[in-house]
Amino acid sequence: MPTLESLPHVLPEVALAVTAAALFVLEALWQPRGRARRVGFPLLALGGLLAALLFLVASPSSAEPRFFGGLLTQDPFSTFVRGVAIVATALAVGLALGSPSLPSNRRVEYHGLLVLLALGMCLLSSAGHLLMIYVAIEIVSLTSYLLAGFDDRGGRSAEAGLKYVLFGGVASGVMLFGFSLLFGLFGDLSLSGLGQALAHSTTLSTGAGRWATLLALVFVLAGLGFKIAAVPFHMWCPDVYEGAPTPFTALLSVGPKAAGFAVLLRFGTGLWPELATDAAAATSALPWLLLLGVMSTVTMTVGNLAAIWQDNLKRLLAYSSIAHAGYMLMGVVAGGREGPGAVAVYLAVYLIMNIGAFAVVSAVDRSAHSEDIGVYHGLGRRAPLLALAMAVFLLSLTGLPPTAGFVGKLYLFASLIHHGGFWYVLLAVVGVLNSVVSLYFYARVLRAMFLESAAGEPAPVSLANSAAALAVVLAVPTLALGIFWQPLAAIANFSGSLF
Amino acid sequence: MFRVWAIPLIPLLGFVYIGLLSRRLSRRAAAIVGCSTVALSFLVSLEGALQLLRGEEALTATFYTWASLGDTLVRLDYRLDALSGSMALIVSGVGFLIHLYSVGYMHGDRGFNRYFAFLNLFIFFMLTLVLSDNLLLTFVGWEGVGLCSYLLIGFWYEKSDPPPAAVKAFVVNRIGDFGFLTAMVLLLAQVGTLSISELLQSAPGAFEAWPVGALAVGLLLFLAATGKSAQVPLYVWLPDAMAGPTPVSALIHAATMVTAGVYLMARFRPILELQPQVLEVICAVGAVTALLAALIALAQRDIKRVLAYSTVSQLGYMFMGVAAGGGVAGMFHLTTHAFFKALLFLGAGSVIHAMGGEQDITKMGGLRSKTPITFWTCLVGALALAGLFPTAGFYSKDLILADVLHFGEWGRILFAMGVLTAGLTAFYTARWLMLIFFGEYRSPHHHPHESPAVMTVPLVLLAIFSFGAGWGEHAYAHFVGRVLEPPEGHVPGQVIAWASGAGIVGLLAGFLRYRSLVPGPGPAKGLARVSERKFWVDEIYDALIVRPYQFLSKVIASWVDGGLIDTALVNGSGALVRAAGRIVRPLQNGQIQVYTLAMMVGLVAALGWMLWS
Amino acid sequence: MQQHRTGPAWGQEEKLIPLSHTILLSAVLFAVGTVGFLVRRSAVMMLVCVEIMLNAANIAFIAFARHHLSMAGHIWVFVVITVAAGEAAIGLALIVALARERGTIQVDELRSLKG
Repeated sequence: MPTLESLPHVLPEVALAVTAAALFVLEALWQPRGRARRVGFPLLALGGLLAALLFLVASPSSAEPRFFGGLLTQDPFSTFVRGVAIVATALAVGLALGSPSLPSNRRVEYHGLLVLLALGMCLLSSAGHLLMIYVAIEIVSLTSYLLAGFDDRGGRSAEAGLKYVLFGGVASGVMLFGFSLLFGLFGDLSLSGLGQALAHSTTLSTGAGRWATLLALVFVLAGLGFKIAAVPFHMWCPDVYEGAPTPFTALLSVGPKAAGFAVLLRFGTGLWPELATDAAAATSALPWLLLLGVMSTVTMTVGNLAAIWQDNLKRLLAYSSIAHAGYMLMGVVAGGREGPGAVAVYLAVYLIMNIGAFAVVSAVDRSAHSEDIGVYHGLGRRAPLLALAMAVFLLSLTGLPPTAGFVGKLYLFASLIHHGGFWYVLLAVVGVLNSVVSLYFYARVLRAMFLESAAGEPAPVSLANSAAALAVVLAVPTLALGIFWQPLAAIANFSGSLF
Repeated sequence: MFRVWAIPLIPLLGFVYIGLLSRRLSRRAAAIVGCSTVALSFLVSLEGALQLLRGEEALTATFYTWASLGDTLVRLDYRLDALSGSMALIVSGVGFLIHLYSVGYMHGDRGFNRYFAFLNLFIFFMLTLVLSDNLLLTFVGWEGVGLCSYLLIGFWYEKSDPPPAAVKAFVVNRIGDFGFLTAMVLLLAQVGTLSISELLQSAPGAFEAWPVGALAVGLLLFLAATGKSAQVPLYVWLPDAMAGPTPVSALIHAATMVTAGVYLMARFRPILELQPQVLEVICAVGAVTALLAALIALAQRDIKRVLAYSTVSQLGYMFMGVAAGGGVAGMFHLTTHAFFKALLFLGAGSVIHAMGGEQDITKMGGLRSKTPITFWTCLVGALALAGLFPTAGFYSKDLILADVLHFGEWGRILFAMGVLTAGLTAFYTARWLMLIFFGEYRSPHHHPHESPAVMTVPLVLLAIFSFGAGWGEHAYAHFVGRVLEPPEGHVPGQVIAWASGAGIVGLLAGFLRYRSLVPGPGPAKGLARVSERKFWVDEIYDALIVRPYQFLSKVIASWVDGGLIDTALVNGSGALVRAAGRIVRPLQNGQIQVYTLAMMVGLVAALGWMLWS
Repeated sequence: MQQHRTGPAWGQEEKLIPLSHTILLSAVLFAVGTVGFLVRRSAVMMLVCVEIMLNAANIAFIAFARHHLSMAGHIWVFVVITVAAGEAAIGLALIVALARERGTIQVDELRSLKG
């Protein structure tokens, strides 16, 4: 679809771009003080996000899913992931209200960057062209680098930002080189064009052509793996999560990961269209699926094993989020309609429970000024509601019924098992084993909260802040969706298709 | 109208009520709510059982229908049939008595209300496990009871780190859970449903073409059972779990939770039967466990540890009984054991209460006259444990041994092991009784006193059941025989002679040996030392699993980053996982170049692998 | 973006500079950037190495664009240059912030986040 006719379909992105621009311009021209600054700008950001969400829900359906000459592809899956990205950003705006980890004189920039990040994530989740993928990844990355280094209360945040920028630079450089190879091999940059070229080329199955194709694929995987924090491209993740301001870490652990999964799925189904209908028939995609399967196994195992030793809750959650990327990769491997559906369900569940867990960390951090597991001792008695919410999130992250996390895991495992085949079932078994291991470190936090007493006189944990309120609010759907999971089933049905 | 799900739900309400109001609720109110909810669910179970007796085959209720998953419909059903109904009666009945006892035992404890909340939660999960007709829901209960066990073992250790005992129990049970989950995955993949009643119906057909799958499912389910029910090789956690309050030991670690594995085997008999080897493995493991644990129990000095090893040993009997014959024998022993072992534990609690916390039986003695009710009830329990006519233990043990004698090729050997175990059981039971209640009072301090009525009444009630439950043998076999295959005919006289003979010899030997002899302080000598040191199993596990992993992780970690490994890993089974975690960790040393290098190595490895294959 | 596959085939000699030479240059530059990133300890130098890697990819794009006679490769290079500028600006800003707080830009001294 040409440019002008495409515009009505990207109104959410337009709304986000306008909001971001408005935030930066108003800050520069007006420089408001007091209440307008504290409340007005977050409200403006929230308004923009809400508008984007409304446009997204009301976006016109179109017979032709490709816009701007193939740069963007919109399908139910991308619509869903864009929704996840926008909601996650809105939650991050809520978390940031009154957070001490953000310098008060730069709050407006923070919100502008958040909205810009949301724009990048939306573009990334519907990118159907290598150039669009690159640009969208860079929008997400560049804003993330800035936001990770936003806390100016000490060197940790800046260190996190610098590590992120360096590692991200290399990862995107490697991916870029992979793109250039793909371009050289096939002479095309759109995913659909690459898919056609790949299907019709015979010389690529042997010799130097095969060599170069595999090299390109592995290099591309580096960039995408970096975005979803999959092993071995995950090493930035714990350091950045720990150093970045907590409200942003919450978003970072969910939004870019969701967009990364969208682009990973789209890249796979773009190059091998048969993956979207029947993964079993896609023998030409075998190297890609093998890579992803091994990556899934290694990712969840490394994430869970490394989490066992963590005493810093943010770091623990960082490793846990690495492990969850491994779980979601299982759905990508399963393919078909069921695989993406399962990934979508898991993303929805993960959005709620992971941001919820970070909200608790943020709330505790505000009064205890620490993320160490030590300050969680006796939280069950000092702030029962908050501790209860945390317990729900942790059980959900483990995947124990009756929480939403269990339903998400069930969908992922089921997608593999329904697919059948020895390696697929084996991958599911590895996933199960990993869930069992993960209980070990999640339960450690539970234990600290409910069974151990705090040493000395701990600071009282205040519930009167946005983070605690959000945590309690998010605990409700985490539990409710575990019991009434029709909405999740609807998500699986709706967003299982990619084209 | 009868609702099966009311049975587990009532204790849950109790938990919510006590838990939410925790500190605002008076102890009296917490005790009343805690006990009455369990009593109520006992009454509802009783009503259900009566309906079954009137001719209903099973009472089912769909608690909630989850959305469909593909073409698999996930329905959370509760189902009360003869098997689950009898379990529910035991859980709620014995559970009620232990609740009642706890009111006296925990009197004055700071965490009184919290304790009752957890206890009610446990009853909820246990009833869910038992009554569920969906494997997922069963797993909820399975995990839930494990969690409660973990919470209650560590109940008195608020201030320090998690006690190693709780962690050990936790980790060992994860190994069992792995078996459960994998079996669940295989069943879902092969049969396509998680509903237990449908599974039992269609599994034989579904596995016809894939016998190895049936074998795997059977063994994996048994692995789950060995973890939860403390069988070889995963039994090591149960004796350590005695660190919790004594009523918890009685409820969770003797009467109910640890029998969940036995119940699982009974429930899934139709699937286990698909591959007869599975039943043979179960029976053999049960026999080995029974014998080994009885041998270890011979020389233990802690009043509760003797009982703990005895529980492991009796659970071995139950597995033998569930695998050999039709399975009714094992379930019947489970029932009688719930009575007499709960009785013995509560009696031990009463003794500990009387002795002001002393747990070493070599330092007791002469309590017969000082705590008469405890003595007489414990005597009944001990005789039942030893299997003496006409107590309940006599009937159930003989039923098992009769089944085992005719089981497969190895029946006679397993039978001999069972008889030997019976003799050893009688011996250590006699030792336990003699050292506690007879002879001189040996403790230098404290004036022992009998426990209050709220504790002795449950003792007396349990003693009555321990004494008389065996007479209901035929009624029980007839009732549960609707689900499992009922045993044929009577127990042969030969079996009775062997088992009772071994029991009487063991008892007499024990009474004679410990009439005046009291094991002195310091390590035992000769064979007794082997028993006292528990066959060095903990040390062997330590040497075979813990140490090599410690060594390996130390070597690797010191290569990569010298300063990381500092403390030795205390805990046994958890070390495996944790050591692996330590290997992963040193890479994350804060150096961005190391991170990038890891990425590059990953890329090259991926590329090399792709090109090579 | 329309493609005209009329250029010389993969690996075939061209009049001035053959495609293989340009690709080789690009690969060598990429390797230089990677190795440089791994061995240099100064954050600024590492950032420079990242730029070298990006430009290696740029050269490959230009070469392939010439080979396929497609404008897409040229457009791409402009985009990459823009993005690289942004990345460098952000990287330098963070380096300055860190230099003020810690007084060093050697990355092996940035180890407060680890484990």
